[in-house]
Amino acid sequence: MKIELIVNGVRRVIDVEPNELLINVIREKLGLTGTKYGCGIGECGACTVIVDSKPVLSCLTLAVEVAGREITTIEGVAKNGRLDPVQEAFVEEGAVQCGYCTPGFIIMAKALLEENKNPSRQEIIEYIKGNLCRCTGYINIVKAIQKASEKITLKERKTT
Amino acid sequence: MSFYAIGKRTARKDSVAKVTGWEKYASDIYLPNMLHARVLKSPFPHAIVKKIDTSRAEEMGAIVVTFKDVPDKLFCPRLVSTPDATYKDWKVLTDKPKFVGEPIAAVAAETEELAQIALESINVEYELLEPVFDALESMKEGKPRIHDKIMLNDKIIDIENNVACRLELQEGDLEEAFKRSDIIIEREFRTSRGYHNQLEPKVAVVNPEPDGGLTIWCTTQTIHNTRLLISEIFNIPVSKINVKKLALGGGFGSSIQTNIVVPIAVALALKARRPVRLAYTKEEDMHEHSSYQMIFRLKIGVTRDGKLTGGFMENIMDIGAHQIQAYPLLGTCAGWWVSLYKLQAIKYVGVAIYTNKIPSCAYRGYGNPQVTWAVETIMDELAEMLGMDPIEFRLKNYVGERDLFWGQGPTVKSIIKSCGVEEILKKGSELIGWKNRPKPGEQKGRFRRGIGMARGYHTSSAGAPIPSQVIDYSGAILKVNEDGTVDYITGLVDQGGGTLEAHAKIIAEELGLPLKNVNIVAADSQTTIYDVCTHASRGVYAGGGAALNVARQVKEKIFKLASTILNAYPHTLRIRPDEERGQAVIYVEGLPGKEITLGELATLARIKNLGTIAAVDSFRPPACPPHFTGYFVEVLVDTETGIVKPLKVVIGADVGTVINPDLAEGQLHGGFIMGWSRAILEDLKYNEEIGDIECRGFIIDYKMPTAADIPEEIKTFFVETYEPTGPFGAKGLGEGAQNPAIAAISNAIYNATGVRFYELPITPEKLLEKLKEKEGRKLAVEDAVKLT
Repeated sequence: MKIELIVNGVRRVIDVEPNELLINVIREKLGLTGTKYGCGIGECGACTVIVDSKPVLSCLTLAVEVAGREITTIEGVAKNGRLDPVQEAFVEEGAVQCGYCTPGFIIMAKALLEENKNPSRQEIIEYIKGNLCRCTGYINIVKAIQKASEKITLKERKTT
Repeated sequence: MSFYAIGKRTARKDSVAKVTGWEKYASDIYLPNMLHARVLKSPFPHAIVKKIDTSRAEEMGAIVVTFKDVPDKLFCPRLVSTPDATYKDWKVLTDKPKFVGEPIAAVAAETEELAQIALESINVEYELLEPVFDALESMKEGKPRIHDKIMLNDKIIDIENNVACRLELQEGDLEEAFKRSDIIIEREFRTSRGYHNQLEPKVAVVNPEPDGGLTIWCTTQTIHNTRLLISEIFNIPVSKINVKKLALGGGFGSSIQTNIVVPIAVALALKARRPVRLAYTKEEDMHEHSSYQMIFRLKIGVTRDGKLTGGFMENIMDIGAHQIQAYPLLGTCAGWWVSLYKLQAIKYVGVAIYTNKIPSCAYRGYGNPQVTWAVETIMDELAEMLGMDPIEFRLKNYVGERDLFWGQGPTVKSIIKSCGVEEILKKGSELIGWKNRPKPGEQKGRFRRGIGMARGYHTSSAGAPIPSQVIDYSGAILKVNEDGTVDYITGLVDQGGGTLEAHAKIIAEELGLPLKNVNIVAADSQTTIYDVCTHASRGVYAGGGAALNVARQVKEKIFKLASTILNAYPHTLRIRPDEERGQAVIYVEGLPGKEITLGELATLARIKNLGTIAAVDSFRPPACPPHFTGYFVEVLVDTETGIVKPLKVVIGADVGTVINPDLAEGQLHGGFIMGWSRAILEDLKYNEEIGDIECRGFIIDYKMPTAADIPEEIKTFFVETYEPTGPFGAKGLGEGAQNPAIAAISNAIYNATGVRFYELPITPEKLLEKLKEKEGRKLAVEDAVKLT
């Protein structure tokens, strides 16, 4: 069956099976391999994407469930060739090691900062505790999200 | 020493690709006309395949391979040891599965779903054999034989009592040493089995080439050993196999060996004559590798004035159903033990035992975290018995500068030339508030705080002045481009820690290049020279040594060429980075104007037909210098729930010159959390009834730490030392970053509760049980049960 998805701002019409998972559509039909398969059962968060402003585990979501909706994958976070403040902060804070969990964390951080511009350390931890990382010990990831929040606040102050 | 590239905080070169989703891992490789593969695995821990019927799968159009279609050849998936120390007991697919999850057959079809349907149509008749799951049971007379005959190098050897291999060592007069001792302590320790839980499950994509060769994209820590092994198994000339280097989604030792998905995908691709992708699920991945369970018996003597005398160590290792590197591990465990503290006499008995479990392989530290946990527990106990401060006691006995260090078992040794142990312990104890720590076991009440410490180290590479049973060298190619940048081409895989970033800084430092002018370029086994593997914390030390070696040669060539153009003697030339021009500038000191940028030089060399400035060379690390770490941990124990939380963590490290300060800190952070997990949480428990791991591979039932488990405060520091054999004074870090963690946590729990643990992990259940034994009080749960 054909469904329509708005992926990173672009309208895409895709032929999918009714039982096809969103992660497979994103990775294999759209070729957006930045979204990672980690566990396939919603435990690691590596496959997280944003569906209309909410973070969603693409390995537990059927593609047909999100027909007609707006999907942001990691490839859609940087705009016009410029890194998003969250991405900048991950680079600057050494929050990236092997990088396999990174897209999922960045998507979660984006979603969090959309909901809450100035989250406390505890709020950050609560929000991202469903995402697993084996390399960094999470310390610099939390720091990076704190820094991203500061960057966004600073940017807004400058523009107002 | 002052550096301009080394030690600077810079964004790692691959980070933009990683934060934007551009980075390519093996799992991201999809080829045109590709088939998808699935693997049929034994549901039984010990069985013989009597019959296998694949006709229905073949009727569906699937490509099928079983044990009948793969070379009937034993191999060892890990090629780091020399052939004379390599035990071979693996086959690509087997008709005698020895653990739940052992591959028997595989299929490839147009989609993964079709492959799965075809797989499920295969009919297998098994004859069940009695399994054995416990190492101590398995080695008894009359137990089921897991292996009959295996190979050591090219000789067939018989396996008796499921003893895979053994190693015994003896030095000095132990009887005499124990006689001189005022205290002799003896303890038994039992570690858990852990799962690496690297985020990227194992994957292989294989493309058959028209000349009979293969191109392979796979999860690996070594592209060169992968091609050597595939060549060995399938009898394809090594030069026709090309293994691509990609980003790796974490390794921690689980891809030192060639993952079994690689030869399986090769077998399918050779049969199908089409590209094949085989990607394991997480559940399958968890059945692919685990750490070793070790049972130590440790006996150590000490005199009243706090001098250790001698020691005995027995190490019984449960290695699971196959050998990956059991024999070298028996050696390293001995080495980790004798290189912690000075013992005048030692005796070591190491035995590796087969069981019907998932095969064990190296897991960050290669036995060192386990050994350090046992030794550092005993050191704590002895200090208390002697009435000495545990830190003072350690300083009195530690192996340090000018002592002999066993970097990778008894055949890899070198003299320690840099050591920051004293400074680590001094500064660490100040930062944690060591002097004010509670007296062990004196606290009452529900919540109790405790401070514990432990120290440790790990080798940096398996280098040594003489050849050993471990292969260790790296190679590099460096060439100068006409734009003044250099291309760095290496077969060394970055597991994620940023090893190649360190190499870039080493090259920039040596060549006076702005860091951005060092390109880390795509590489594969065809276009690089040999690198053994990214393991043994050798990436920065040995791999960085190889990078420096070619950078020096390139520098010499630059000066030689520039000397003719600048009309100056080559040995009077200097090179410096000019950030404004974005170039390295070659100049004559004191003569302004006598200079040329590296880009201009390379361009001139091209126009005048003088050639490309380049170097290619191998580098053998001359030593195996230990990098040292010290852990200081404050915990909070809830004596009603048994839950332990980390409050404050201080980690000090001596890694020689720090090349990437932020990435080095990251290693310590990650090391702590992984160590925390091994101390408190993780255990790949077996359920003997199902013959499988209790969690069945579901990560939901295999808890690892999340962001909610991080300590409130974590402080890391590096002490200043300079390793004379390392690139710009650097040593390794990846494994030492974690090694003492378990011991420090365990000692902190003792400090809080007065209870010692000799079995890992220290789960809430075990903690409550021990507290109940010690304090004779009922558990909160029992009260709760009574109330209901």
